[in-house]
Amino acid sequence: MSGPKISLSCQEVSRLLSDRQDETLPAADRARLRLHLVMCGACRNVQEQMDFMRRAMQQLGKESDGGP
Amino acid sequence: MNLDQELAQLHPLLLRFAKAQLRHDSMAEDVVSETLLALLEKPEGFEGRSSLRTYATGILKFKIVDVLRARGREVHIEPMDEQSMDDALDALFAADGHWREPPPAWQQPERALEQSQFFVVLQGCVDKLPAKLGRIFMMREWLEMETETISSELDITANHCGVMLYRARMGLRECLDLNWFAGASK
Repeated sequence: MSGPKISLSCQEVSRLLSDRQDETLPAADRARLRLHLVMCGACRNVQEQMDFMRRAMQQLGKESDGGP
Repeated sequence: MNLDQELAQLHPLLLRFAKAQLRHDSMAEDVVSETLLALLEKPEGFEGRSSLRTYATGILKFKIVDVLRARGREVHIEPMDEQSMDDALDALFAADGHWREPPPAWQQPERALEQSQFFVVLQGCVDKLPAKLGRIFMMREWLEMETETISSELDITANHCGVMLYRARMGLRECLDLNWFAGASK
């Protein structure tokens, strides 16, 4: 990481949104991500979609063809 | 229904998932037979604990992980071509890092989870990912392995693992967007 850059691009944010599914982000990244999401609806959509995909994948194979 | 009949009914489902994950028909058949055998030999292991489907899937997942581990040791997964990986992703973004086409919100995603057809599309999208990405993604999201474990099993760096998961997620997002949510006025 190069220096304390406050604003992130959508591209950087998309990577952080993925990383966040796997690990706790460093505090500085969390703060910058939070700021970006407040300002950017497209990235908020992607954030929701990543969360949704996780839930969907956890249900894959559990979804029932004929009741549980 | 007795146990044998229930297992017979479950068999195609188990096989489909084993094949999707292992991408190798005879290996998939092997892990499924082992799973069924384990259940036939020790039916008391599951009684009263959960649904047979959940229990069988749990055993199958462990067997799949074993195969993946063994395979990871046998076949060295060479680092992916980071350049072409980056190129595909770069196409989504303008030079300044903004979305070329800002991703729209998905309408009523929770309703998708209630539709079996959605899971067919989801499985199809996972299958469409490049084999290595698909496998790592399934290890993480379906087998619910930690990235540390995945990295060490496949002998790749944590960063490489992160890049592959990122690429898989973006690919899957794109695929679902196109094949389910875009056309879905459901």
